[in-house]
Amino acid sequence: MTAEPYRLDELMIDAMARELSGEVLVSSVTAFGALAGLVAKAFYAPDLALLATPESGMDVDFLPSLSLGQFFILAQRGIALGMEEVFDAIFLDKFRIWINPAQIDQRGSVNISAIGPWATPKVALVGSRGIPEDTSHLSKLCYYLLDHNPRTVVAAVDFRSGAGNTAEREQRLGRIGAPSVLVTNLGVFDFQGAHGQMQIRQLHPGVDLTAAESATGFHLTAASPVATTPEPSSEVVAFIRQHDPLGLRHMEMQKGSGAAKHQDQAWMDERSLLEAPSAGEGAL
Amino acid sequence: MNKLVLLDDMARQIPDGATVAIGGSSISRKPMAMVRALARSGVKDLRLIVDVGGPDVDLLIGVGAVREVIYAFVGFEFLGLAPHFRTARQNQSVGFQEWTEYTIMAGLDATIKRIPFIPTHAGLATDVLSVNPAFRVIADPFGGDDVVAIPPLSPDFALIHANYADSAGNGVILGDSHADALCAKAAKTTFLSCEQVLSSKDLQNLGAGVQILRIHTTGVIEAPWGAHPTIMAPVYRLDLMAMKDYLQQASDPDLWLNYTLEVIGQDHETYVKRQGGALALKQRLGVSST
Repeated sequence: MTAEPYRLDELMIDAMARELSGEVLVSSVTAFGALAGLVAKAFYAPDLALLATPESGMDVDFLPSLSLGQFFILAQRGIALGMEEVFDAIFLDKFRIWINPAQIDQRGSVNISAIGPWATPKVALVGSRGIPEDTSHLSKLCYYLLDHNPRTVVAAVDFRSGAGNTAEREQRLGRIGAPSVLVTNLGVFDFQGAHGQMQIRQLHPGVDLTAAESATGFHLTAASPVATTPEPSSEVVAFIRQHDPLGLRHMEMQKGSGAAKHQDQAWMDERSLLEAPSAGEGAL
Repeated sequence: MNKLVLLDDMARQIPDGATVAIGGSSISRKPMAMVRALARSGVKDLRLIVDVGGPDVDLLIGVGAVREVIYAFVGFEFLGLAPHFRTARQNQSVGFQEWTEYTIMAGLDATIKRIPFIPTHAGLATDVLSVNPAFRVIADPFGGDDVVAIPPLSPDFALIHANYADSAGNGVILGDSHADALCAKAAKTTFLSCEQVLSSKDLQNLGAGVQILRIHTTGVIEAPWGAHPTIMAPVYRLDLMAMKDYLQQASDPDLWLNYTLEVIGQDHETYVKRQGGALALKQRLGVSST
């Protein structure tokens, strides 16, 4: 038992942090991904080289901020690098990222490109970004979802931005790119079922099998017995709260007007966290 | 050597039908002053190449300047989807080629190296290869596994926004350089805007920070706040309110018409004044660089 209460976001971030290991670059494209990297480095995997996005500085002290819905840094404080360095790390399998897809399916294929047919989409999403590179070069693929429901965890994705456990992937890439883990608001899942099928590894405290099954768009199997996700220690919880004073992890979980208000507040609060330039300061 | 040009004179050099590569990444260090100048020039039928696009692509689609977009991503990050991009994708009013982050870089690199393709494993076993006719899966001539052949991407123009430049066209990017140097080298003509023009002597003190070499640069534009409303590390943060204003105007045809006249249609100095002026912008968005 923790001496201090924790929240779902902190449980999820701790579960995500426990998946990271080694001396690899860790990307931080979202608040959850960035905080998972920070927690991992502080508690589980001290050799990680954390990237602060959007200005891909390595080994930086993050300043928590809104600027990309994540963490702004003073770029000079870290080791500056560009996309060529990032992709070389991907090609060398020295890179990890927590990817937050719009859809993931029972074989772990993921979609951030389009709902409906790609050429005539019902909803055009953002485009596959760097996910195809990740699933063609990395030996560990980590996914998370904040809203596990039958529209996000589906039988088959509308578009494969990232390759799951398909015959084509195995034929072309072997074990490279195979989905490793999915952390959602309901539990922790792996892809060790028959034919690389997604299955339950752990359910979060208070979540039962029925809830997970009814939130999933296909028949979900479970490793037996199903374990319960470990609760984060009071030290981890305190660390997360200290490193996210603007509450960007909560903002990431919100939708609609709640999220909009949170953004406005965080943007105002960010002003006081970032040192304002002094009046007489020159450009250099 | 003096390559300084005025913003709107730069824009007039880009003709209808041109292929334009744009630097920066989503809502970070986008050459927005040049993008707005291009939009108000009335240019049509542009073919855009962006690795990670955001308000740059969205704005140019919104004013009807775009024929086709080659992209890995277009979005507003935590602020959601890009409204004009989304509409154009859904009603197919603009052509789209979905590439990926590395394959765009490889396509630019193939042009730089003057080779017919660059092989990679990127994209194998994904649907990007199914919907994008630009790529070919080919046998490895040395007997290994199949690879994806990425053809050249050859921009006529590149638009890059840097922290500093000298008048000869050397550029310094203090934050993430993204794929900007590749864009600058692959394009026939590169326009480099910057927050501040420095003397070549002062610029050279920044040493390894010089990422854009003058041999690739055709024109230099001094445009303070030239990335606004996107992030310009380490000098200024995202202007959330201006970004939300854009998203609201872009979602309504009447508001958008007004925005194109009042905001995009005015020169850069007027734009900066409309945002409250340089001093207010610094108070609102400035970040100490020490």
